Amino acid sequence: MTLPESPLGAELRVTGVRLAAVDAFRLNEMGIRLGTLAHVTQHAAFGGRVIAVAGSRYALDGETAALIDVEPVDRLG
Amino acid sequence: MSCHGPASSPVPGRSGTATLAGTTAPSRVLLVGCPNVGKSTLFNALTGARQHTTNAPGTTVELATGTWRTARQAPPGQGPAGYNAADSVTERVIVDLPGTYSLLARSSDEQVTADTVRELARSYGEGGGQPGVVVVVLDATALARSLYLLAQVAETGVPLVVALTMLDLAPTATDWPGAAMEPDTLAAALAASLGVPVVPMDARNRTAGGGGELASAVDAIAQYPRGVSGLVPAASSVCCGTTAAAWQHHDAAPDMTQELAHAERLFEWVEQVSEQVSTCLARPLPSAAHGPAAATSVRRSPGPLPRTFSDRVDAVLLNPWAGIPVFLAVVWMLFELTTRFAAPLQSAIGQLVNGPMASAVTWFLGLFGLAGSWAQGLLVDGLLVGVGTVLTFLPVMAVMFAALGVLEDSGYLARAAFVADRAMRSLGLDGRALLPLIVGFGCNLPALAATRTLPHARQRLLTGLLIPLTSCSARLTVYVLLAGAFFPDHAGTVIFAMYLTSVLLVLGGGLLLRRTAFRDVSAGPLILVLPPYQRPHMRTLAMSVRLRVGSFVVRAGKIIVATMLVVWVLMAVPVTGQHAVGHVPVADSLYYGVAAGIAPVLAPAGFGNDHAAAALMTGFVAKEVVVGSFAQSYAVAEPGNPARAGGLGEQLRRSFEESSGGHGGAAALAFMVFVLAYTPCVAALAEQRRLFGWRPTASALTVQLTGAWVLAVLIFQVGSRL
Repeated sequence: MTLPESPLGAELRVTGVRLAAVDAFRLNEMGIRLGTLAHVTQHAAFGGRVIAVAGSRYALDGETAALIDVEPVDRLG
Repeated sequence: MSCHGPASSPVPGRSGTATLAGTTAPSRVLLVGCPNVGKSTLFNALTGARQHTTNAPGTTVELATGTWRTARQAPPGQGPAGYNAADSVTERVIVDLPGTYSLLARSSDEQVTADTVRELARSYGEGGGQPGVVVVVLDATALARSLYLLAQVAETGVPLVVALTMLDLAPTATDWPGAAMEPDTLAAALAASLGVPVVPMDARNRTAGGGGELASAVDAIAQYPRGVSGLVPAASSVCCGTTAAAWQHHDAAPDMTQELAHAERLFEWVEQVSEQVSTCLARPLPSAAHGPAAATSVRRSPGPLPRTFSDRVDAVLLNPWAGIPVFLAVVWMLFELTTRFAAPLQSAIGQLVNGPMASAVTWFLGLFGLAGSWAQGLLVDGLLVGVGTVLTFLPVMAVMFAALGVLEDSGYLARAAFVADRAMRSLGLDGRALLPLIVGFGCNLPALAATRTLPHARQRLLTGLLIPLTSCSARLTVYVLLAGAFFPDHAGTVIFAMYLTSVLLVLGGGLLLRRTAFRDVSAGPLILVLPPYQRPHMRTLAMSVRLRVGSFVVRAGKIIVATMLVVWVLMAVPVTGQHAVGHVPVADSLYYGVAAGIAPVLAPAGFGNDHAAAALMTGFVAKEVVVGSFAQSYAVAEPGNPARAGGLGEQLRRSFEESSGGHGGAAALAFMVFVLAYTPCVAALAEQRRLFGWRPTASALTVQLTGAWVLAVLIFQVGSRL
């Protein structure tokens, strides 16, 4: 599923980033990479999302969020 | 690795500042850090008022440079009695570089940072003296992100010191598990892991800010440089090689295999440092597990997320329904502050300058027998009017800088960028650009000043070129006069149409510029780090406002005063031999002579008469005085209410009908559009020059005048045929 499809408060792991290579790289540099654990902390207008990663909050516009694939974290697994 | 050494021990085996006796300070200190890590707050704390801003060579990127003074330690064996007080202060030049997440630049601002660090590395590699030290500012609430940038800087081979900031925010504003750590403990753990001095900073605290310790560490590392543990300086390192330039051009994706592989190594180093610090602190640091580490990530999963204060506020301010109304309310507040709130202050200053101050200067000149002379005209009607104009803008600029400072320091500005992102995307601009563009409808001058909140220089320039197209309140008086005189039954509709035209010009101008001179400006993915909300610090805010207002007075004020003097000379010099200099009726002045020379150029737009040309010349100085200029040139009383122009309306109709061949209405519409589209005022021009330099300002001026003429001609030629 994609980030905008994730419920508020969900704990997720990033499994794919379908942005242009340079944009994906900057996302990497900022700390959002494959395997990154995140929580959705806010649903904003036009599909925008705020996620919590390692103590920081990142705001992503709707189009960008829709290009980030995530999976729920199975805390018992 | 020991976890308990002094955090800022400048030299291995030594500790504290005692080692500094006899050291020489580096010639230059560069502040490097991610955006919003408190870098500028630290810069202000270290330099105080001893700073100035300049544009980086060949760019419109603003750089703040300052002098960082600290008390020098007395050499061993020399007490205060034997110590020369004149030598007791050490000075260093310190540069606040634009914030960046990476040395692989994606904008001109980031490129300036990358280039400056690289240049220092090159100077350092060539040897000779102590060219400089980099202070990497690390955000204690987001260590991993800051460490990545630190790794890139370290790889260039420059000597560096770490300043640890945001320590006051960490315990309350983040869900970071190590948030409640003692600053010194965290700094010591980091220093042990990195192998370079780490100084905890509290830049907002004047007395216990850590500036002295930072100075000691900087001076020592300049003299005894050492690398960061686990990183090998490499001149050919990917992070600082020629590939950086290619990253500016988003369309041309470079082969990133090498960069990705290199970045992965740096990410692994960041992970290692985090692990080491965790071990020292015996508690987990936040780690965004990735790649091969993902398999173990559940072990370090943050688990249920505690909601911070900022999360709770964001639940309202970023809410899909409430977020946009809150943003509009904030913009409305800015609009009110820069217009309604500042207006009485501006008026009071204007009265003071034109009343008591003008009288005082006149009285003083009278003592030397110069009352009534051209010298009095020059000083009172030229110089003092110019100075008065600058002074009347001070309240509005101070209010705008203070309001922006509050929004920025509180953390709301980043949210505003997020909320307004959608609206500005079509113009390729950051959401924050909407704020100055709306403020421009009140006054263009503070709106231009507000462009400083945009993160990229090209976006600042593009927004700064569009702001003059927003119809400021000063232009309203002209619309009211002409709409009332020519369209008395539809004046409201005409005025509304002018504002609509203004919006269309901003959108059309923006789209045109994006497809021509600003093809490099594009709205890429919005990925914003939202800083935690915090209470703005009044002392820091006041200093910032003082410095920015001072910069406006010095850099823009000179141009305003010079222009006013030129206007006075034009008004004071007669074109006939019947008058003395300084005692010339407007119609016989050089000013009017120039207007008469310009008038034929305006003929295709239907208002090629001397009165209109003179009014437009005056409007170049300030739109507020266009109505007064018309009244002066027609020798009628200036109407108290432009909507009831009386005799002035009669005169306007007569001359516009005459110059337009019987199409006065079309000519009046064309005149209003010209007033909307050409240069707003000399103060706005001076502010553009201050922010963007002469070249873009001169280009903008040419485009504004040409565009206004073309639009006016178009309106008149079409309107007169309907």
